[in-house]
Amino acid sequence: MASLAARFASASLTRTTRSVIVPAAGLASQVRFNHSSRETTQIPDFNKYKSGSGDTTNRGFSYFMVGTTGALSFVGAKTTVADFLANMSASADVLALAKVEVDLNTIPEGRNVTIKWRGKPVFIRHRTADEIDEANSVNIAELRDPQNDAERAVKPEWLVMLGVCTHLGCVPIGEAGDYGGWYCPCHGSHYDISGRIRKGPAPLNLEIPAYSFEEGNKIVIG
Amino acid sequence: MPVQSNNGSAANKFARFGYNTIVKRNSIFLTTIFVSAFAAEMVFDSVSDRIWDNINKGRQWKDIAHKYEESE
Repeated sequence: MASLAARFASASLTRTTRSVIVPAAGLASQVRFNHSSRETTQIPDFNKYKSGSGDTTNRGFSYFMVGTTGALSFVGAKTTVADFLANMSASADVLALAKVEVDLNTIPEGRNVTIKWRGKPVFIRHRTADEIDEANSVNIAELRDPQNDAERAVKPEWLVMLGVCTHLGCVPIGEAGDYGGWYCPCHGSHYDISGRIRKGPAPLNLEIPAYSFEEGNKIVIG
Repeated sequence: MPVQSNNGSAANKFARFGYNTIVKRNSIFLTTIFVSAFAAEMVFDSVSDRIWDNINKGRQWKDIAHKYEESE
């Protein structure tokens, strides 16, 4: 046993250092201490630290803590995201300017009114019965941007549209053009009495903003 | 060494019931976590709002608005 170990040790030694064989002293007299033969390992008494509440209570408490931590982290993450998103939404002073109220009693029949809304002109026309009939008599199929007159006006006598030419953004002139509606002087787009593009370079009808009729013959745009 | 168990007590029965109904299935566990997160947030918000209103009673616009809004 000792010689085998010495040979093994020398073999590994010669391979690396090529030194003189050194007998491995002490290998033969190795004594293995075992806790069965001698009391060397003393396990402390942990009973003082052990829970006396039972294993299911401990398990339940651990999972409760896991779940609570998860829930609180989720609340924190959600609040962070919500705060960032709230940062992007419009503030109260912007929202206060976002709506415009117009008293329709001041607009006589057959007249245009231009008001400013969010920095853009908005045309309001009190249309006559003849104009409504004219807008409805158009063959929708031959329009560039086919739209019913009913789709464009909530109440047929009131036409509300954004006064921005859909071609390059000029402001069209009212009661002008070949179709009795609006005419854009920049590049010659003709809009009819429903604000639909009929002739010229503009690709789309005049845009309709969101609006609603309020009590007392008022309209709120925005 | 045997685990010192106190499994017959009321706390243990409650804990086992909670484990079996909520934790055992991970889907139910996660759903409970998210639902309770929303509930906890709502409770926290309403309670803190109430405390704030209580401390600032009579100083906020909603407390004194009725004195000024009649003229409109």
